[in-house]
Amino acid sequence: MKIICLQENLKNGLNVVQNIIGKNLTLPILNNILLITDKKQLKLSTTDLEIAITNYIICKTEKEGGITVPARILVNFINNLPNKKIEISIKNNIIYLKCDNFKSNIKGLDIKDFPIIPKIKNEPTLEVNYLTLKNALEQVINFTSFSDIRPEITGVFFNFSSDKEIKIVATDSFRLGEKIIYLKDNKINKNNQGSVIVPGKTIQELIRILSNLEKDEEGLVKISIENNQILFNFSKIQIISKLIEGSYPNYQQLMSKQFETNILINKEELVKAIKLSSFFSSKINDIRLKIDSKKSLISIFSQDIELGENLSDLQAEVKGKDLEIIFNHKYLLDGLNSINTKRVFIGFNGETSPGIIKPEGDDSFNYVIMPIKL
Amino acid sequence: MTNQEIWQITLGEIELSVSRANFITWFKNTNIISNKDGKIIVGVPNGFAKEWLENKYNKLVLKALRNSIGYIKNVNYIISSSPEHQVKTRQKARPKKEKINLDLKEQLDIREFKKDEKTNLNSRYDFGSFVVASFNELAYAASQSVIKDLGKIYNPLFIYGGVGVGKTHLIQAIGNEVIKTYNDKNVIYLPSERFCADLISSISNQTIEKFKDDYRKFDVLIIDDIQFLAGKEKTQEIFFHIFNGLYEKNKQIILSSDRAPKAIPTLEERLRSRFEGGMMADIGRPDFETRLVILKKKAQDLNINISDETLSYIAINIQKNIRELEGALNRVFAFIKLNNIIPNQKQLTKILKTLISNPQKRTNYKKIAEVVASFYDINVSDLINRSRKKEIVKPRQIVMYLMREELKNSYPSIGTRLGDRDHTTVIYACEKIGKELENDETLEQELNLIKERLYNNIV
Repeated sequence: MKIICLQENLKNGLNVVQNIIGKNLTLPILNNILLITDKKQLKLSTTDLEIAITNYIICKTEKEGGITVPARILVNFINNLPNKKIEISIKNNIIYLKCDNFKSNIKGLDIKDFPIIPKIKNEPTLEVNYLTLKNALEQVINFTSFSDIRPEITGVFFNFSSDKEIKIVATDSFRLGEKIIYLKDNKINKNNQGSVIVPGKTIQELIRILSNLEKDEEGLVKISIENNQILFNFSKIQIISKLIEGSYPNYQQLMSKQFETNILINKEELVKAIKLSSFFSSKINDIRLKIDSKKSLISIFSQDIELGENLSDLQAEVKGKDLEIIFNHKYLLDGLNSINTKRVFIGFNGETSPGIIKPEGDDSFNYVIMPIKL
Repeated sequence: MTNQEIWQITLGEIELSVSRANFITWFKNTNIISNKDGKIIVGVPNGFAKEWLENKYNKLVLKALRNSIGYIKNVNYIISSSPEHQVKTRQKARPKKEKINLDLKEQLDIREFKKDEKTNLNSRYDFGSFVVASFNELAYAASQSVIKDLGKIYNPLFIYGGVGVGKTHLIQAIGNEVIKTYNDKNVIYLPSERFCADLISSISNQTIEKFKDDYRKFDVLIIDDIQFLAGKEKTQEIFFHIFNGLYEKNKQIILSSDRAPKAIPTLEERLRSRFEGGMMADIGRPDFETRLVILKKKAQDLNINISDETLSYIAINIQKNIRELEGALNRVFAFIKLNNIIPNQKQLTKILKTLISNPQKRTNYKKIAEVVASFYDINVSDLINRSRKKEIVKPRQIVMYLMREELKNSYPSIGTRLGDRDHTTVIYACEKIGKELENDETLEQELNLIKERLYNNIV
């Protein structure tokens, strides 16, 4: 193989693929990046046998070929080169790199031993604008569970059962976020309606890659599903990941539409008051919300026997019953921080039922939060 | 040879010709899914393994398979998650230590809300996990027709049976199924104790009319353990009105109890006749085969591999109660998880000892005679003499029955003790009482009272 490409292109390309590489002792080749020429482009691939990322970058191909190279050394070396042309050639499983007046060679392994990345032959289930997808995923990704006791909630749930919308859900069983993406013309392929659970790690990787893409308002992500695998395909980058098996909790019943207590409140003020209160909350992060509908007031109160206490009163539009309810402040803040509107709607149904937080006048995002029982 | 054995042999051969790392990475969690007409389908855990085996190791696998079982046409690979694979990944997953709050306050989590707030039904109970067999098929069939034709054929549906035979499971499954089948039905499930509590609070808040109206809005009312209404007169009265209101509007009512309406003491006559007016179905005790099926199903749900011998050991020894059956299985499961070994017969006996052997009840012949005599208000000597008066014969037979059942005395020795009677007399008495117990609810209650006195030292 012999190719010439720009340092910046190669650097960016490597950054896209290198993040999933960890330390794999049983199969050392998984610590390597695959470099191979494909249709006059350079293809970079990595995998940890659960996720695989492939990225094509532009280059001038003089001779076809390929190699796998340890990721860390290659990435570090390329990152620190000047932005000039790099000449890459391979001989006997050794890669020779030449840039400006720097030269180096790195020992690699044969491409024959690199895992074959599965292909998905199905038509894409749907296409969605990548900015929309990124924003939606960012809104819920922090709510996934990290505990492996229930593997199904360590992932993000995608529901494509209607042809007009995708529901994206994450929960750790204490709170739950649901984001709905309304599709305009990019309808869901009828044959593939259903739902899948995508591992949290895959979604984090997806968000990271989407955030680093060049801004392109029209860019689309094609999503295909087959054989327990999901493929996110955007022009030059493909992410393929296994799915989590199991059934996602039936969360619909938590999404009440009717509330005994309805609140509309300025989000920033609420966030500030909760933050202030959080300094005084006890070990279990509890803060107490007291809702008074006559005075249109929400009092936020927290107390630590050793530290002291804090009380903030906030004006709000309150309709319905008075209520005293206790929450973990961290969960409240997580939910509020996923909302971008000036005011938020909060609905409660008594002190032991889940509360719902959502942006004012926007039903596409719902945050369900479980209270702390007295 | 089973598929598993074939694959073991094949893997043994493959292991020799590939490196350890490759073997572990690509052949872990694979198995033969089907073997038909020389075509073998191998299940692999993920897409990577599939690609790799198809493209790199296909020849090797084929050769090894041919060496082990002879002619093979071809091998296909599909992605499947075998149960073993799931178990393994689960074991690997080590839960992070979560902070344990010793505080009394408790963060609620969504799992607790498996229970639907509105209907109170627990979605865990469905027909999929309900094992139907001869002991409960009548109740099951009645439930199915109730779902098909709400409020019309069998109203009320009255399910009764002993502790832990699946009454709650069945009636909640009906509720869940109704919600699934019809979209617009208002279903409510309540234990009768909750009904009473709500009623009492509505009485104290003077909102009793609202309470009644609230209940009349439901299309399906399910009340569990209705026998607890016994002795609560006001509650029975209110329930009577609610019952009538719903019944007239053809709304379905489903009740469960641990005994037949007839046998519920102090249940008002008008309620009793209403309960009996619909469909009564009893759930008996599961037979051995059914118990085994239940255990197998449960073991599958828990994702554990327990040998059939172990399961049948549990099924043989725990006979009456499905809940205890599950408890026993859970114990074995916990043992396996803790020690990572499959228990042998000896260990098994030890694990299940407390469940299987009932605490030794201590009593003796004299006590039985005394308690029975005082219960029926006769003299102990009457039990021994030759009188054939009806009011004496019955207690005497009950004493024989109890000596047989509780003390496990032999027939002749019982006969000798009770005035030198022939052992056939004793056999007849025991059989008679045993038979009557099945049909006569009053006798059953009497016996229960006697036993209570016997073991609580009340004479």
